[in-house]
Amino acid sequence: MVRYLARRLGQSLLTIFLTVSTVFVLVRLAPGDPATSYAGPNATTEDLARIREQFGLDDSVFAQYLIFLRDLFTGDLGTSYSFHAPAFDVVMDRLPYTTTLAISAIALTTVVAVPLGVWMARRADTNREIGANIVTIAGQSMPDFWSGVMLLTAFAVLIPVLPSSGFTTWGGLVLPTITVAILQMALISRLVRREMAGALASPYITVARSRGVSERALTWRYGLRNSAIPVLTALGTRFAALLNGVVVVEVVFGWPGVGSLVVRALETRDYPLIQATVLVTAALAILVQLLIDLAYPLLDPRVRLGKAA
Amino acid sequence: MSTALDTTATPSPRPSAVSARQLAASTATRRARAARLKLWIGTVCTLLVVVPIALAQLLPLPGPNDQDLGKRRLAPFTEGHLFGTDQLGRDVLSRILHGGQVSLTIGVLAVVVSGVIGIVAGAAAGYFGGWVDSVVSRLLEAQMSLPLLMMLLLVVALFDPSVPVITSVIAVAQWPEVARLTRSLVLVEREKPYVAAARMLGLHRIQILVRHILPNIIRQATLVVLLLLAQAVLLESALSYLGAGPQRPFATWGRIISDGQDYITTSWWLVTLPGLVIVLLVVGVNLIGDGLRDRSRVRRTATEGN
Repeated sequence: MVRYLARRLGQSLLTIFLTVSTVFVLVRLAPGDPATSYAGPNATTEDLARIREQFGLDDSVFAQYLIFLRDLFTGDLGTSYSFHAPAFDVVMDRLPYTTTLAISAIALTTVVAVPLGVWMARRADTNREIGANIVTIAGQSMPDFWSGVMLLTAFAVLIPVLPSSGFTTWGGLVLPTITVAILQMALISRLVRREMAGALASPYITVARSRGVSERALTWRYGLRNSAIPVLTALGTRFAALLNGVVVVEVVFGWPGVGSLVVRALETRDYPLIQATVLVTAALAILVQLLIDLAYPLLDPRVRLGKAA
Repeated sequence: MSTALDTTATPSPRPSAVSARQLAASTATRRARAARLKLWIGTVCTLLVVVPIALAQLLPLPGPNDQDLGKRRLAPFTEGHLFGTDQLGRDVLSRILHGGQVSLTIGVLAVVVSGVIGIVAGAAAGYFGGWVDSVVSRLLEAQMSLPLLMMLLLVVALFDPSVPVITSVIAVAQWPEVARLTRSLVLVEREKPYVAAARMLGLHRIQILVRHILPNIIRQATLVVLLLLAQAVLLESALSYLGAGPQRPFATWGRIISDGQDYITTSWWLVTLPGLVIVLLVVGVNLIGDGLRDRSRVRRTATEGN
């Protein structure tokens, strides 16, 4: 167990390190120059040179990388060019918003998609189920920016019951949550259907049924419990992906999260901020993934971590 | 589920005691019917979008960039503009169809590239194992843990957003899915007796992989590629919505929507209609992919007898 954890943590650190290094090199291959966007249109060549000097952009990429690594190990991710504050702090300020949105979207997904998937598995291939099935396909076929704008128009403009952008009241959470959750609900309910259909067709269900176990218990206690691992894995993976940035939805709703931050950082070529964002979100996503893997044995005693199957 | 068969009934002209109704209610029949339904609806939806896009140049439409400032934001069905006009008096239907040519080209090219890379890499990893497998698997894992859209935006921001760049970016984003599936299919396939037989006959390993294993898995692998086409179209439209799509003069779907967003309160069609076209196409492609997969599943369970 300890060895397993150590190996996983090692792998995670390596992945994060490689990711950040890739991003570091990629942003510097860019044709754009942070100094120009920082100094504004009226800057003189001397201004630009001074700014480049100040940001340490005159050194070779390799030298910059070494400095970046040195700072990284002392916990310093550099100062954001546009916010004039430590990049790490800027990201951490935005993170709670993204986390809130991700948690509420996954909660809504779980509440809707699991019962829906179970229902679809129990009624597989009946007319109504085929209808529901096609609806879930439609759900996974909608561009989120479009459904976001449509929801916004319907519930913030035509029938103004909810705020249109930002996060000032809890009502502001409703529309972004639904927009994010549409795709997740479609994916998860289809997964639940597939897993449950497999579980309900397995021999232990037949045995339990022949012993007089009620259909309700068969579905929820026997079927769902045995489908729990793939479903939970998927929910966790989706959650981790959401932490990585709900870029489009955040832009549509003016949500002050990490996703809209990264778009801004890319536009202004704010190197430290881009690096910090990628580092924090990648680390968070990997951590969530690890926690899910650690939760397996609690759900299914047959799973032993760290041993080859 | 099933009711007991009545074997004492008078002999019917049917050779089996299973009545037509029971047959129609059987799981296999219902499954096949669901698959057929999905395929039909999917094909209709897809053709409804693809055919007009393919014929965009032939249809009697104004050019996608023809401005007529006297006819700004006309509602649909007025003055010969089926989908209305936008804030610069351009015909929305024409813009959607011409934009669709760009989106579909990018989507198809991206999917072909990612399909080829994914199948080659996945098949090599599954068949050769060893260090080839390690390299491919690590690459897959690393890419799966990356924030996808963020990376796409990054790369597009770095190199200019031209059609080749966007195509390759989407292809690179999508190959892991194909590679993972192909790898797992090959892993199963290579343990089958015919592979051992081919080896006994002295065939070269590459020959076995290309001539014997690949033909057996290619159908399933291409099914995933079809589903990826739907995803590629969505990715492209998201990128161009964020301003990282193909630049003007191309009227891409994402940009038509982001431009129309400012007028949503007064001109609903500028956002609603292009979005509906995207949904129709993507639903269609997804339904075809899903239907084909269901159908192959029905066949497989039928032959394996469980």
